[in-house]
Amino acid sequence: MTKTTIILGVIGNDCHAVGNKIIENSLMQAGINVVNLGVMVSQDEFIDAAIETGATAILVSSIYGHGEIDCEGLRGRCIERGLKDILLYVGGNLVIGKRDFEDIEKIFKKMGYDRVFPPSVDLSDVAKNLKQDIARLAS
Amino acid sequence: MIVAGIDIGSTWTKGVLFDVDTENDDVRIVKRSTLPTRIDNLSSSFVKVLREISGEADPFHLMQSGQMKLQYSSSAKGGLAVSAIGLVPEITLSIGKIAAQSAGARLAQVFSYHLTSQDLLTLEESSPDIILFAGGTDGGDSQYVLSNARKIAETSLNCDIIYAGNRSISDDVRDILKHKKLTVVENLLPNFNEPQPEPAQNAIREVFLKTIVKGKGLDEIERMTGGISPLPTPFVVLEFVRAIHKEVQGWEEFLMIDMGGATTDIYSVHKEVPAIGTILRGIYEPIIKRTVEGDLGMRVSAHATARVGASNAAYHRMEIEPEKLINYADSLINKPDFLPADQQSKNMDQMLAGICTGQACARHVGRWATMFTVEGEVKVQTGRDLTKLDKVIGTGGWLSRDSEFQPSSWFSDYTIDTRGQEILMPKHFNYYRDEESIFPLLANLAREYPKAAANAGVKLLVKS
Repeated sequence: MTKTTIILGVIGNDCHAVGNKIIENSLMQAGINVVNLGVMVSQDEFIDAAIETGATAILVSSIYGHGEIDCEGLRGRCIERGLKDILLYVGGNLVIGKRDFEDIEKIFKKMGYDRVFPPSVDLSDVAKNLKQDIARLAS
Repeated sequence: MIVAGIDIGSTWTKGVLFDVDTENDDVRIVKRSTLPTRIDNLSSSFVKVLREISGEADPFHLMQSGQMKLQYSSSAKGGLAVSAIGLVPEITLSIGKIAAQSAGARLAQVFSYHLTSQDLLTLEESSPDIILFAGGTDGGDSQYVLSNARKIAETSLNCDIIYAGNRSISDDVRDILKHKKLTVVENLLPNFNEPQPEPAQNAIREVFLKTIVKGKGLDEIERMTGGISPLPTPFVVLEFVRAIHKEVQGWEEFLMIDMGGATTDIYSVHKEVPAIGTILRGIYEPIIKRTVEGDLGMRVSAHATARVGASNAAYHRMEIEPEKLINYADSLINKPDFLPADQQSKNMDQMLAGICTGQACARHVGRWATMFTVEGEVKVQTGRDLTKLDKVIGTGGWLSRDSEFQPSSWFSDYTIDTRGQEILMPKHFNYYRDEESIFPLLANLAREYPKAAANAGVKLLVKS
């Protein structure tokens, strides 16, 4: 069986590169095939890569506080461009200021993201979640 | 060693007899000859040129006895037309385009995502020489590719099809297209961040060779010369550019404009090393890149060139009105050999050449978009940054002849594109002219003596 492919990148005008590399390594070690687009990735670039590689999930990172603006509309764009079943994950410092994570999670789930992660998340949990969600999708 | 180099073009057949000093990698030009090409029988002008440069009525016995070698190329078919099919325009289609053009082909059409019935009709009507069919990384998308394969299977197309897509479904594609002339090669994008255009390029070149020798007398030349095959001119020129890059000190990076009547071809040798604060986006480009602009040319394509047009500043500088340029260009359609005599026509030609060189380079080079981030200003770069390139070569009939023409004044018309992005054209450079118009012939010589030919090429350039 071929490995699951996922698309990874930091969205918008955000150039935080270190965390991005750590996520890539951690997921690869968990046996997931990661296509890492790096930093400053636009919504369409995520979707382009997902179509071409037949990816099952897109993992969006945002560290610089503009996540709410940058991430809005990605689900709709995926549907428009034919990716109706793709999993969308988002994580990082998603908003500016101190807000309860539960509120943040609500906002991003409403935008159509399947899972939302705080900056403190254990990456092995992300990998576990991914595998479960992908298995659920396949069944 | 005595080597005859001949290039069979659609208008002229040109030959040079070279004396190669293999010890010092030096070349002496012994004799030159140029005769009109007979399109219906390429061998007659070829033999005449070979006789003239070798000074022998039977030049073939010189070859049999080992006193003379021969290398020849042909562009008489006007370049092979390739239609490229990819999945996402910015990804597999983009790599497909680079692969086709760098292999010496001309892009006829491009298609992405699902082929529509209209696309298939267009394909059938234009009947390209080759279809380059790609899509999906290895193990990636199969849905689009298989659906497109089934659609192609139902067409009447009988050209060569090169499949360079998702490897996981190559058996299915082979099965679906088994009644077509199909070649399956390695994927041009096996992994997302690692494009690999070479196998597709090689396959295009193979078909090219097979196709150009068919008919019109090239097969006869092959027989007469004891099995020496011609290579496509654009391909030998590309390899010559590689030879200069590898063999001549100080010429590791340069740009070359080959402007003809029908197309303007740009070659550049450049290794991308992004500066700090610059982020590279988009697909990787090979170190040696060639682009072909079919709507930019001095004669056959002049009408299209005039309609592409220039900046207001350029019209003002040349004191030419856009309508006048269009009228002039339209008058050239059936005159591929027209040489202007009066000053006004010369200015018009100058203007056309300016548009061809400026536009073709602007399309060839990359872009910078300036973004403001929390960490300050960042430049997002797509394509290649040639702003620091310091050498530009001009070749092809018109550029070789015109000693007054300076591309720099035309390059500076293209600084910002319509989307507000900076165009990464060479800014401060020396311009060198292939005054003898000898590059295609040296390119033939370079097949066997790359170092000597590359040295000679650079030595023969005239700085202007």
